[in-house]
Amino acid sequence: MSERSKKLLSTLLVLGAQSPERALTIEELATKLGVEASGMEAELRRLLDAGYANVTSASGTPKVYLTGTGIITASSTYS
Amino acid sequence: MGHEVHVVTLDFPGAPYEEELGSLHIHRVAVDIPTPTFHTWVLLFNHFFEKRVGQLARKYGAPDIIHAHDWLTVSGGIAAKHLLRSPLVVTFHSTEASRSSHSPSPESALVEGLEWWGSFEAARVIAVSGWMKSEVISMFKTPTSKVADIPNAVDPLKFEGPVDTRAMREKWGVEGGEKLITAVGRFTSQKGFDDLIRAYPAIRRSIPASRLLLIGDGYMRGELESLAERVQVKEKTTFAGFVSDAELVGALRSSDVVVVPSRFEPFGIIALEAMASGVPVVVSRVGGLAEIVEDTVDGLEVEPDSPSSIAEATVRVLSDRELATRLAQKGREKAKVYSWENAARRTLETYQEAERESRYE
Repeated sequence: MSERSKKLLSTLLVLGAQSPERALTIEELATKLGVEASGMEAELRRLLDAGYANVTSASGTPKVYLTGTGIITASSTYS
Repeated sequence: MGHEVHVVTLDFPGAPYEEELGSLHIHRVAVDIPTPTFHTWVLLFNHFFEKRVGQLARKYGAPDIIHAHDWLTVSGGIAAKHLLRSPLVVTFHSTEASRSSHSPSPESALVEGLEWWGSFEAARVIAVSGWMKSEVISMFKTPTSKVADIPNAVDPLKFEGPVDTRAMREKWGVEGGEKLITAVGRFTSQKGFDDLIRAYPAIRRSIPASRLLLIGDGYMRGELESLAERVQVKEKTTFAGFVSDAELVGALRSSDVVVVPSRFEPFGIIALEAMASGVPVVVSRVGGLAEIVEDTVDGLEVEPDSPSSIAEATVRVLSDRELATRLAQKGREKAKVYSWENAARRTLETYQEAERESRYE
């Protein structure tokens, strides 16, 4: 996993995006990471493809949150 | 054993916030405030733990013992000790110095500081192996008499039930009479799965009809998949991801050998689980693994960081049926020594010692 993907995964964890109710928009994530939203797409896609994150559109805006596998993986350095 | 246990832990998708299993109460806590880094997140969730412990103390009274695990919960445990005047016990499952290969960083300094603080504040320290005990005493200058080594345990019954090994092997992509080589753990450098993948081409030269099954996940997944491709074993390697407990038991029981190629391992419970499953094990000669396994008696030990050593031992087990059967039988006997009854009895003794010697008595 690239350092950027790792950072994104870890950021989702520490921001508490661990359920659809606590999901974050791409823009919110980009702001927290200090990057352009468009520059995050590739990393985000990797996390989604790997099953570490999910997208919910329940509120009308796509929002991202970690799956159980994503939470365990983000915490795995110290487990 | 007639005790009431309250576990305060983090929430997890799908798990209830409150759960009662007989005298075991589980309280899951959500962290509602965002933080900038993993380490500040850990410190913050300890505050949420403290709040929940306070609520529980008001409802049930102060606990007789507070038991914190590793640096991750040490600060909450120490706060609860001083606020509730209950003795603190801290278990070390690992240390930052070993985990980070003694590479200094600001984050490691924080973690090591918390580890030392926990060892200092605790009335008793539990280490998960003799090796871990030596590490704690050496790193934190903890008095020897304060540290108990209480190994982790397995429930042999969990690994003895009926398993449809043919269906399990099909599920993992094993064809015909192929030998199944399994490794389980987090995909981090510590676990040494890269060494096992580097060893696999040599294993396949001796045992072409084989499949490598890697169970787990982690930051190194992409790296391991790329490595498998580079050394041309990707097609014969199954990356299973995280699996359920039932699937894990099925995978272990269906394996011909379980390899634990760790570079560092404070205990190494997967070796014990494989032994309880009646499967021969090949383990690195490090930490707790070297205490569990007696080389050539109930498993084979290999040098850490050595794909050639892993390959040689794995081929030896897979090509010598008599040896494999003997190691598996002896391994199963050894696993029975590591019972939860023993672990619980020794933990209770440690609690009693902590209570007797607590400064608040």
